[in-house]
Amino acid sequence: MATLAHKAKSLVIEQPIWLFVAACIVVFSLSTEHFLDIGNFKNILVQTSTIGLIALGLTFIMINGNIDLSVGAVLALAACLAVDLQSSIGIPLAVTVGLLSGVVLGALNGLVVWKTGVDAFIVTLGAMIGVRGLVFVYTEEQSFYATDFAYADFGTSSIAGIPTLALLFVVLAALMHWILSRSVHGRNTYAVGGNRQAAIDAGIRVGPHMVINFMIGGFFAALAGVTLSTQMGAATPNLGRDFELWAITAIVLGGTKLTGGAGSIVGTLGGVIAIGILRNGMNLLQVPSFYVLVIMGTILIAVLFIDRQVNRNAEQELNV
Amino acid sequence: MSDTISEIKSGGEASLAKKYSQLLARQGILVAFVLFLVVFSIFSDRFLSTDNFMTVIRQASIIGTIAIGVTIVVIGGNLDLSVGSLLSFCTVLVVDLHDKIGPTGAIGLMLVFALLIGAINGYLIGYLKLNSLIVTLGMLSAIQGITLIYTGGQNVDIQNQEGTWFAFFGRGYLWGIAVPVLIFLGLALIAEFVLKATTYGRKVFSVGGNPAAAVFSGLRRNRMVFSTYLLSAFTTACAAIILGSRVMGSQNNVGQGYELLVLAGVILGGTSLLGGSGSITRTIIGVLILSFIQNGLLLLGYPYYAQWLVTWAVIILAVWLDIASTRGKIFTSFS
Amino acid sequence: MKKALKTTSFAILGSALMAGPAAADMKIGITQNNVGVDSYQTTYEKAFKEAASKTDGLETVVLDAGGDVARQIAQMQDLIQQQVDAIIIWPTNGQAVVPVVRQAHQAGIPVIITNSNIADAGQEFIAAFSGPNNITQGEYSAEMMCEALDGKGQIVQISGQPGYTTAIQRQQGFEQRLAEACPGVEIMETQPGDWNREKAQRVMENFLTKYDKIDGVYAGDDNMGVGALNAAKAAGRAGDIAFIGATNFAVGYEAMERGEYYGSVYQSPVDDAEAALQTAIDVINGKEVPKLNYFDTPKITQSNMSEFDKPVF
Repeated sequence: MATLAHKAKSLVIEQPIWLFVAACIVVFSLSTEHFLDIGNFKNILVQTSTIGLIALGLTFIMINGNIDLSVGAVLALAACLAVDLQSSIGIPLAVTVGLLSGVVLGALNGLVVWKTGVDAFIVTLGAMIGVRGLVFVYTEEQSFYATDFAYADFGTSSIAGIPTLALLFVVLAALMHWILSRSVHGRNTYAVGGNRQAAIDAGIRVGPHMVINFMIGGFFAALAGVTLSTQMGAATPNLGRDFELWAITAIVLGGTKLTGGAGSIVGTLGGVIAIGILRNGMNLLQVPSFYVLVIMGTILIAVLFIDRQVNRNAEQELNV
Repeated sequence: MSDTISEIKSGGEASLAKKYSQLLARQGILVAFVLFLVVFSIFSDRFLSTDNFMTVIRQASIIGTIAIGVTIVVIGGNLDLSVGSLLSFCTVLVVDLHDKIGPTGAIGLMLVFALLIGAINGYLIGYLKLNSLIVTLGMLSAIQGITLIYTGGQNVDIQNQEGTWFAFFGRGYLWGIAVPVLIFLGLALIAEFVLKATTYGRKVFSVGGNPAAAVFSGLRRNRMVFSTYLLSAFTTACAAIILGSRVMGSQNNVGQGYELLVLAGVILGGTSLLGGSGSITRTIIGVLILSFIQNGLLLLGYPYYAQWLVTWAVIILAVWLDIASTRGKIFTSFS
Repeated sequence: MKKALKTTSFAILGSALMAGPAAADMKIGITQNNVGVDSYQTTYEKAFKEAASKTDGLETVVLDAGGDVARQIAQMQDLIQQQVDAIIIWPTNGQAVVPVVRQAHQAGIPVIITNSNIADAGQEFIAAFSGPNNITQGEYSAEMMCEALDGKGQIVQISGQPGYTTAIQRQQGFEQRLAEACPGVEIMETQPGDWNREKAQRVMENFLTKYDKIDGVYAGDDNMGVGALNAAKAAGRAGDIAFIGATNFAVGYEAMERGEYYGSVYQSPVDDAEAALQTAIDVINGKEVPKLNYFDTPKITQSNMSEFDKPVF
């Protein structure tokens, strides 16, 4: 009993975001009748899965001390490829091409960061603008739609009563959690982000390691694009605008430091779900959209403030 | 492999050629700028004309004016992503108040509110030491919401467009030069002087360069960061005056996406995101390059998204060249 | 924590007060495209709420997707979850919302599309469409352009935000009709103005540099059309150019009064909103409604503008 309480206490200190999630659930379930329905929670999980999948990969990149601002554009490119190509090469191959595009762009970003020494923020800011250009070159401004409803059916399907997309997200989150906390690659991810020189001295090949994480990030962004396009049965060139900002926000709310070296998938999950619940709850409460913007912005800053109060020891954390 | 090659190249004797090439690389951004001008001039007979140049610089003046303040924030070691919404907010406010209380009052009141928002940013980041990326991202959303609440979502317009001196800022000419250009370059000149020749400027550089340095007591550091956000709010407000006067009206989301264009210009100018280095002159060149790319490609008849691909390459190449010249090596040495 | 909690609970309190009493015979949910991005959509929302409040026994859930397809799909799911009696959707994208419209249809909730229609693949799942015909609007603009230039000239086009249905359809209608009716008028170039007046102004400045002779400008809405007019006035070339827009805004109407702007397409957001709500109510009450309810959007030019009230937006 005592250890359980202790565990809960340490979870709150390490993951204050979950406390926030709990608070949101209490407030929303008291103020709106449909919030506590099982169906609503399924909805929330499906809705958060897009940002959530992006955030899974991005967490690795950010613990590395890097960042990837191009994930929103990569998502759009993968979605457009996966939807447009399926009429000529079939769904499985088209999805593969979509996912590969994410991996390749991730590798490109990673290689540039490694070899040129240019800050990842700058490299991926460039890519964010440029990859969106690629999307428009490819689509010529048009939207694509899946001629086969089977593709959209996947997006709405369920396994054992749980939406497939939600299940996919949860399973992949568990997998990424395991990799980050139990595998050599995960340990190296922290080591490289914590102190790059020490990691080099310890014999970690930092360059290739970072490239792999950018590829993971690209893969998950592309996967998010594919799953989102199954929900829409279509893909549009404007898809995923601002998603990078929301994913980064969720990750930082989840306790990952922008300077690298610290963070967790559990925290990221909390951050993603917090944003999802807020959006869903405000939809159910019909908060006017103008106020939603103000509330989201304020809460973002407030949570950051609380997080710092809780972790008072982190005193020097100002720079990007 | 490539590392050794570049090491051999840079490790050679200090010949004159090398000195020149290093100088060239240091001014990579300037070289790229000239290169662009030459290429566009060759392919488009419209490009190389005083009229077109003035048009491009006038178009760049809004982003450029904001970029002056943001450069100072970045030199101080932080980011400001809230300027896009702040631009919308200030433009809407000044245009809406113009018909209600006249241009003088409108400009004055708008400046007060802009500085207030700058102060909130500065307090949260300077004194509470919250992360600037996330804080200004939150403010980006919040300010947009406040703008929409203020107007109720309606566009605002100035009714009597011909009879107000407010038109001067966006549409006027002085000594044959467009006023937006004068405001932009004038502010840039002042800012460059302040940064390079005053104690305040030196302090901004040292706060950004080494936030933990002992020379600064915590309080003075806080105050410095705070002041940089006041400056970026101020230049954004100036940009809003240009924008509002140019259009004589405003949509609620008129500044959407400007934060990234501004940041791209600052980065292209070689200001380091780590803080402690950078210059207004180079930011201006960065902003002008972006503007010329857009104008040049359009004159050549490429679709608008071609500029995004070119921008991608230019940002990375310019910063890479800059870093490589300081490093003395083309590629990084770690594996 | 306390502070955050306070913020949320205040917000909730506020909105709970606004939502009013819950008991109602009829519950209609609406998810809009992007309120606040332009005055048309804002006026639409106001008119919709007003019309709804005048109807007895009607409760509405009014949501806005902020232009984001993914968020609109989430809002549709939330509305399905709340088991509303009908859903009105202003699609952010005509193709991407088809599956979620189908989901609503399968859940037994009738869907009414408002303002711009969804793709053909989704037509079997909707109860009705209500709105203007954007292709026809493009055609009208083409006809006015033809008239203004006497069938001969060189023009430029400033289109709306790329990838959005309204922008695509107006452009389509304009280009097709112009080619048919007026082969003597050539579109030299098309660039997007993103529904943004300042952006359109910049685009026009570049056009003016590039082309010595521009006889006409077609803009995807009046907001952009007036931006183009601003640029041409500054360059002293406005007198040689015929400006034609769509969705007549107050600024466009005023420019027409001054004789600087040739014409536009008159489209009332109030009609748009009321038609959508009425269609939804009719569907819930089991009345027969035609599948396509286009409301009238006539041409407005300097010569007939006295027949129209100045737009309120």
